[in-house]
Amino acid sequence: MGWKRFFRRRQWDEERALELDAYIEQETADNIARGMSPGLARRCAQKKLGNVTVIREEIYRMNSLVLIETIFQDARRGIRGFLETPGATLVALLSLALGIGATTAIFSVIYGVLISPYPYAKANEIWAPQILDLKNPDRVRMLHHMREYVELKKLPAFADAMATLPENRLLTGDHAPENFESRSVTANAFEFLGVSPVLGRTIQPSDIKPDGTPEPVIVLSYKAWIRLFNASPSALGQQLLLNDQPFTVIGVMPPRFGWWTNDGGWLVLPEDRRDNRSVAAIVRLNKGVSQKRAEDQLQALHLQLAKERPDDFPKTGFTTALKNYMDVTAASGEMESSLRLLFGAVGFLLLIACANVANLQLARGAARAHEIAVRISIGAGRLRLFRQLLTESVVLSVLGGVFGVLLALAITKLIVALIPDSYVPNEARISVNGYVLLFSAAVSVLTGILFGLAPALKCSRSDVVATLKEAGRNLSTAAAGAGTRKALVVAEIALSVVLLMGASLTIRGFLKLLNLDLGFHPDRVLMVRLPLQPKRYPTYEQRVAFTERVLTLVSNLPGVRSVAIGNGGLPFGGPETTYTIEGQPKVESRTLVLGLISSDYTQTMGIQLRGGRTFTRGEVVHAQPVALINEAAAKLWPAGMSPIGAHVHLDFLENPRGQLLPPPASTPEVTILGIIANTRNAGLKSPPVPSAYIPYTLLAPPMRMLAIQTQTPPMSLLNAVRERLRTIDKDQPLSSPMTLEDVVGLETVQPRFNMALFTFFGMLGLALAAAGIYSMVSYTVTTRTHEIGIRMAIGAGRRDVLALILASGGRLVIIGLGLGIAASWMLGRYLRSEVFEVPETDALALGGVVIVLSLVALVACLMPAQRAARLDPVSALRHE
Amino acid sequence: MESMPPQNDHPLQGEMLQGTLDLLILQTLVPGPAHGHTIAHIIEHRSDEVLQVEHGSLYPALHRLENRGWIASFWGTSENNRKARYYRLTALGRQQLKTHTNNWDRLVRAVNRVLRPAED
Repeated sequence: MGWKRFFRRRQWDEERALELDAYIEQETADNIARGMSPGLARRCAQKKLGNVTVIREEIYRMNSLVLIETIFQDARRGIRGFLETPGATLVALLSLALGIGATTAIFSVIYGVLISPYPYAKANEIWAPQILDLKNPDRVRMLHHMREYVELKKLPAFADAMATLPENRLLTGDHAPENFESRSVTANAFEFLGVSPVLGRTIQPSDIKPDGTPEPVIVLSYKAWIRLFNASPSALGQQLLLNDQPFTVIGVMPPRFGWWTNDGGWLVLPEDRRDNRSVAAIVRLNKGVSQKRAEDQLQALHLQLAKERPDDFPKTGFTTALKNYMDVTAASGEMESSLRLLFGAVGFLLLIACANVANLQLARGAARAHEIAVRISIGAGRLRLFRQLLTESVVLSVLGGVFGVLLALAITKLIVALIPDSYVPNEARISVNGYVLLFSAAVSVLTGILFGLAPALKCSRSDVVATLKEAGRNLSTAAAGAGTRKALVVAEIALSVVLLMGASLTIRGFLKLLNLDLGFHPDRVLMVRLPLQPKRYPTYEQRVAFTERVLTLVSNLPGVRSVAIGNGGLPFGGPETTYTIEGQPKVESRTLVLGLISSDYTQTMGIQLRGGRTFTRGEVVHAQPVALINEAAAKLWPAGMSPIGAHVHLDFLENPRGQLLPPPASTPEVTILGIIANTRNAGLKSPPVPSAYIPYTLLAPPMRMLAIQTQTPPMSLLNAVRERLRTIDKDQPLSSPMTLEDVVGLETVQPRFNMALFTFFGMLGLALAAAGIYSMVSYTVTTRTHEIGIRMAIGAGRRDVLALILASGGRLVIIGLGLGIAASWMLGRYLRSEVFEVPETDALALGGVVIVLSLVALVACLMPAQRAARLDPVSALRHE
Repeated sequence: MESMPPQNDHPLQGEMLQGTLDLLILQTLVPGPAHGHTIAHIIEHRSDEVLQVEHGSLYPALHRLENRGWIASFWGTSENNRKARYYRLTALGRQQLKTHTNNWDRLVRAVNRVLRPAED
């Protein structure tokens, strides 16, 4: 019923109009009959009836769904109003689109990477146990022995537990040999994770045979399925030869499933207490069990286990912690803090956009003050007006939001292209999805209310009489709004200074990384990994013979300058060892990082020799107990004592762990032959750490990192290297080929990402602030035209006018700049983060911001100021 | 929600009038259909000009009554041969008039008893 009336109300209204006309006619006729003149008769009739429009409005409203109706009405009126001032509207829309677009884009990244990175069921209820060394909190043990895991999963606090053993296998058979990322998981793993396969089935408890051995089955990742089987459904039932053992493909997981690998597959891991390998365990807690209670139970278990095998636990005491799985993603740390800061940055950007639009709305409000006063005086309710003005703002912001979402699609694409893979969980998907759209819709509406509130309040509260008296001369209303508007511009400038400081600091940090002295030459070096299968190369002699053949054959390739093995220190990391310098007391807390190298290491890497000599080939092949140290290590010797020729006892050589094979007659005592230059061996952001380099033959590890210095672009030699390798062992994979430059580049991807985004958003903020300054100063020029005319008439020159206007803008810029620097200084102290490699007090960064902002602000002020200076005094005086 | 009432409208008076005006209109239509102009004058006339209804306010009331289905309207020709919208009482309206008149009588009696207890 109501709805029908709603749609018929126009017709109704016309009928009412006719009816009211009929009344007037009738009454007029009656009045004439009473002897009135026709004119008087009509006037009396009209008086008797009252205000026809009000009557019609009243009836019209009876037929309306008032709120919706008026909102549409206001929206229509708003859009009409915006179309009348296309320039200002475009600026406002653009500001909003940038603000909302940037916010939406960053939110979509945050949603994809931090809020919902995993496809796993209730991922936020998964916990990973960790053992923390009390003395050395940086040392965290995250793995458990299978024996420990079997006990752990029995704890009453846990509802469920699963274990993962990440161990690569050699894939041979019908496929090209490769280092296949096989992940063994306990039989309940897929149920635990709660993800269904796209094809076939997942591993089930029945895949453990009654005798406890696992069925040789494999569930493939989506990528591996495409890569190895061309995404064919017939992959099911086929076999893969892993470490010479056939595994039957039983299922394929969806693309987003990436448990420990997104390019390999999952095998069955039996829960065998005798298995001495370490697994990564995760658990879910029972209902009603607190994290603390679970940690207490686990700690009690760990203490008990530590009694049985003290060597497996930190000797100086430990605590047990459960880390929520959402907090141990690849994004935690650098990426997370970067995204948080970026979210703050786009928040600022949105605020700048709001200030910009509020300013434009205030200017529009001032221009409409007269109209609004007239409407109030003829009976418009102030609440109704307030609502109308607010609706207009929200319409503007929602329109801006629509463009913003379109922009967000583009910005998100850009971010996805820039985001470093290794800092994002491989399950994460970044897209502008439903949640993100909901977010941006909310942001749009809130934005509209935020920037619309002040102008709406100001207008609907305006003093009707005073405004009407001015009769179109906008002077005093303009002056009244000027305070707010100036404050908004100052706020904009201050916010953009904070954004620019962020950008400036990340740029400085990035440049610092780029200009870093690495200590080695990363250009024209090809790096490949040669993972030897311990089962295929079980003896020390076999491993060394293979390696020496590879070194010889590759170094003979045309285009190869030199080739070296460099496990650890190529260019980063390596096993750590405690040591004793002969004749000196041992310092327990000091360690050396070990590099396992071959004779041409320094030459291939371009590391300078500082003293002594490097290894001969013979010393390496015959596993002589010799060593090189870097300058940082040389400083460990007492002053005045030369390390060259000194003997050092390396504890690591005494009891090598894992799959290392020491030579038959090995000694942990090495003689130092030479000192080489420091390299950034602990990553670009850390200072060089003391390091010792020993012949790789002293340990014969299963992994070989090969560095090949080339004359031509390094990647062009990859195939030739592969060919040579095949002649030695046709089943030996060569994995992760990279240039050394790319390896170093990986260290700078996060800083580069930070720099790119902070700079991008900083520039957007600057542009918005510049638009704000420009419109403010232009407006000043317009409202002061009359005054400028007077000034010119009494002798002010164009220069004076220029200076006057520039000063009016300049004051705001200086205040804003000051506030912004103070704010960023305070924020910088508060937000100390690895995102900013240089302190917030960095003079160059600060200077850059001041210069860039001042220049842009000057241009923004200069354009309207010049217009003012070119005014013709006569027409300026006439200006109303 | 509903807003923008005429600035000089005192709500109390308006509310008191509304129900009463409805009753008066219904009563006016008992003898037969009439158009707005006639209704206004009849009310004014019958009440010896005491009830000075602003004639305009009659129309929203008519509309409201029609929406409730108490009266119906049709276009007809007025006494002086003009097109005019006539209103007539519906069955529902007749019934409502009865109820409301009863209520009104009871109200008047009650108020009177309070105001002039001695005379009863």
